[in-house]
Amino acid sequence: MLAKLNSYGLIGINGIPVNVEVDLSFGMQKVDTVGLPDNAVKESKERVRSAICNSGYSYPEMRVLVNLAPADIKKEGTVYDLPIALGILAARGIFPLHAADDYIIVGELALDGRVRSVTGVLPMVIDAYERGFRHVMLPYENAEEASFFSELTVIPVRNLNEAVGHFRGTNPIEPFPQLEWHEHKSHYVNDFSEIKGQQHAKRAAEIAVAGNHNLLMIGSPGSGKTMLARSIPSILPELTMQESLEITRIHSVAGELKGGIVTERPFRAPHHSASIPALVGGGSKALPGEISLAHYGVLFMDEFPQFPTNVLEALRQPLEDGVVTITRAAAKTTYPADFMLVAAMNPCPCGNFGSKTKECRCTPAQIERYRNRISSPLLDRLDIHIEMTEVNFSDLTSKAAGESSASVRERVTRARKLQKARYEADGILFNSQLNTPLMRKYCRMEPDAEELLHTAYERLKLSARAYTRVIKVARTIADIAGEETISKSHVLEAVQYRGLDEKYWGSR
Amino acid sequence: MAMEYSEKELGWLWLNTVLGTSVKLTERLVVLNGGASAVYEKARKGEPLSLPEAVTPRQKAALMKRFREGELASFKDSLERGGFHAVTRDSEDYPRLLREIYDPPTVLYVKGRLHADTALPIAVIGSRKCSDYGREAAMHFGFELAEHGACVISGMALGCDASAAIGALRSRSSEYPTLAVLGSGIDVIYPQSNKRLYDMIAERGAVITEMRPGLRPTRESFPQRNRIISGLSKGILVVEAAAKSGTRITVDFAHEQGRDVFAVPGRITDPLSAGTNLMIKSGEAKAVFGVDDVLYEYGIFLAEPPSPIHNADISGLDANERKLFELLKTGEKTVDALCEISGLDAAEINICLTEMELSGIIRQLPNGLYSV
Repeated sequence: MLAKLNSYGLIGINGIPVNVEVDLSFGMQKVDTVGLPDNAVKESKERVRSAICNSGYSYPEMRVLVNLAPADIKKEGTVYDLPIALGILAARGIFPLHAADDYIIVGELALDGRVRSVTGVLPMVIDAYERGFRHVMLPYENAEEASFFSELTVIPVRNLNEAVGHFRGTNPIEPFPQLEWHEHKSHYVNDFSEIKGQQHAKRAAEIAVAGNHNLLMIGSPGSGKTMLARSIPSILPELTMQESLEITRIHSVAGELKGGIVTERPFRAPHHSASIPALVGGGSKALPGEISLAHYGVLFMDEFPQFPTNVLEALRQPLEDGVVTITRAAAKTTYPADFMLVAAMNPCPCGNFGSKTKECRCTPAQIERYRNRISSPLLDRLDIHIEMTEVNFSDLTSKAAGESSASVRERVTRARKLQKARYEADGILFNSQLNTPLMRKYCRMEPDAEELLHTAYERLKLSARAYTRVIKVARTIADIAGEETISKSHVLEAVQYRGLDEKYWGSR
Repeated sequence: MAMEYSEKELGWLWLNTVLGTSVKLTERLVVLNGGASAVYEKARKGEPLSLPEAVTPRQKAALMKRFREGELASFKDSLERGGFHAVTRDSEDYPRLLREIYDPPTVLYVKGRLHADTALPIAVIGSRKCSDYGREAAMHFGFELAEHGACVISGMALGCDASAAIGALRSRSSEYPTLAVLGSGIDVIYPQSNKRLYDMIAERGAVITEMRPGLRPTRESFPQRNRIISGLSKGILVVEAAAKSGTRITVDFAHEQGRDVFAVPGRITDPLSAGTNLMIKSGEAKAVFGVDDVLYEYGIFLAEPPSPIHNADISGLDANERKLFELLKTGEKTVDALCEISGLDAAEINICLTEMELSGIIRQLPNGLYSV
């Protein structure tokens, strides 16, 4: 007897349909799995056998052949346990052969027949939905991930018996309620209003977020760099459903999903011992790295110069393109990686450089080596530089309540909308993506602003790099103010965020 | 220019290539053999030299190796090709002040012009890791000293030394504004980032060293070099020094050599000025507030007081800027502190700060601080 069921596999963050064919024939009792299964798939026959027996069915004393088609794509993971088990039961006539024809079925089995959650459900469901499937059977824990598609029936199962009951028609399972997508009022733990003082840094963060500029913070330990970085997601605009699904998709593939759909901007803070595969993605399965997990969110790299140089350099291409392509022996995958980079560093290895109260113990050569770890092309991509100072006690206890994230977010959202409308024809979204011709086109300045920029260029010995950065940042400041032409005061403010170029990297 | 060396000079030069900077040993050897020209003569003829007991077996082996005229000639050539020349103890141009010290170098390798007498040589020294204050003070004194006819001696290290030299070079009127003493071979520029400064000093003054060309600086070479800095100078001015600093060594040499020591006072809370403040407290150094305090000691009296370091023109400031300026006058502050005190928001303050920065009224310091 032959049973056919539909299941799904993954290539990168894209789902691909996989047909599970189970054939029972007379012969010695034995199970063969064909169709490029990896070890986890091969082992599934043992789990399936126990699960079937422990669910009260008898295991066929026949030869079982499982084929996973298309046979030339590598099958990975444990999602095929449930379809294989159901295939065997269908082939034995436990439930009607064609009852499951319309369904996509994924799930891992425990030995007692319970269905366990799997990774990568969302990308599978998205692909299946686009291909016209309207019924999915999922582990109960994964059901919420798939619950945002209209007209999609999601059948959550807790164990093998439930699934059989459903297909038999004796105990149909109630479909998982479809969730309405509403602008989630996301709740972030860190709010801007909790940061006392640090007006300068908060304003810089606001501008950075508004124009999607990458941010570099330099300051001694305890100056609040981490605190500020952590609260940046809270001033980013609310996620749209599209963005939410895309983030969830990546997190789902990486197995980082903690139930349901991602409704908050991700904040990723990899340790500086991270390797290239950990950061940009890779490994034998070409899984997404931190930069993809930070998609539409914030990638915070504390102790920036302590990251290995090759890791830092590997960031350059994704920062430019917003995607990263990983090529491994077994797979070639492109992951989205459109994140805001927030980098933090000490002014010198010991952290006390420039401090009025503590003595810096580093030699000039050490300091230079420390700073030179960040190459000019990388520095180029960090539009806004700020210096942070230790917060003194009176600032911490000051009564003045800071502005809340929500009101900052409003300004940011408005500025981003302006940019989106302006750049519609140019295929970009943000000021940070402006190149030289576009800058000429869109960064019109009042005459006195232009004059000022030239004065600043000469007086403050700005590098050519810093010069373009100042213009982009001034554009964003004007957008926050809702003005189309860049005025003098916008440039004046923008100049403050170029800051560290000649002071820290002057010799280059 | 092709440099002609006398036999005496060649004797010193040869000994320097063999014995390096071992001054006392070279001196003994010259005395034992009856002068530098006699050494050269003996070596040329292949006669054995009378050696002092202190000669190590390695040095002995090097000395006994047959003297080859070709070797010395090619050494002279390579000096010339690099635009360098050598000044020895028996040269006319050997600095007179330097002869007075306990162990004057036997040979000085020079790029630029070196004279026996320099008008008022004053060393300006300080930490390599200096604060903005130190850098500014060094530049100020460097310039003012050069403007009043002094020659600024420095070590061309990063920080205060380099700033002093840069300040001196800014003086257009000075004929011989500055001289730098290296702790490495004359052709080894350390740190490499000082290449431009090196060229400019050599063009208008001189860069000198007692070490053979090609030698890299070592931990010991800098203290050794410091005795030359103080030896060349009538007085040394310490701009900024922490409690434990390499500057201390130069100051000790200066006292030993009978030179005057001046120090620029700093804040009592500033660790980077702890050394200079201590020198003033203990009476080792004279506190100087302006260049007139230094010049006074050498009989130069200025008709009018020297220009103050700051003379900002604040007439063009608007109300907010003036408010911030007044606040900054009471001490350097961050934008956040200014926010807190003035009640203005960060965007407004940043605008004012840039405006004032561009007109040179205030400056940005490391760590996000601003000062007038």
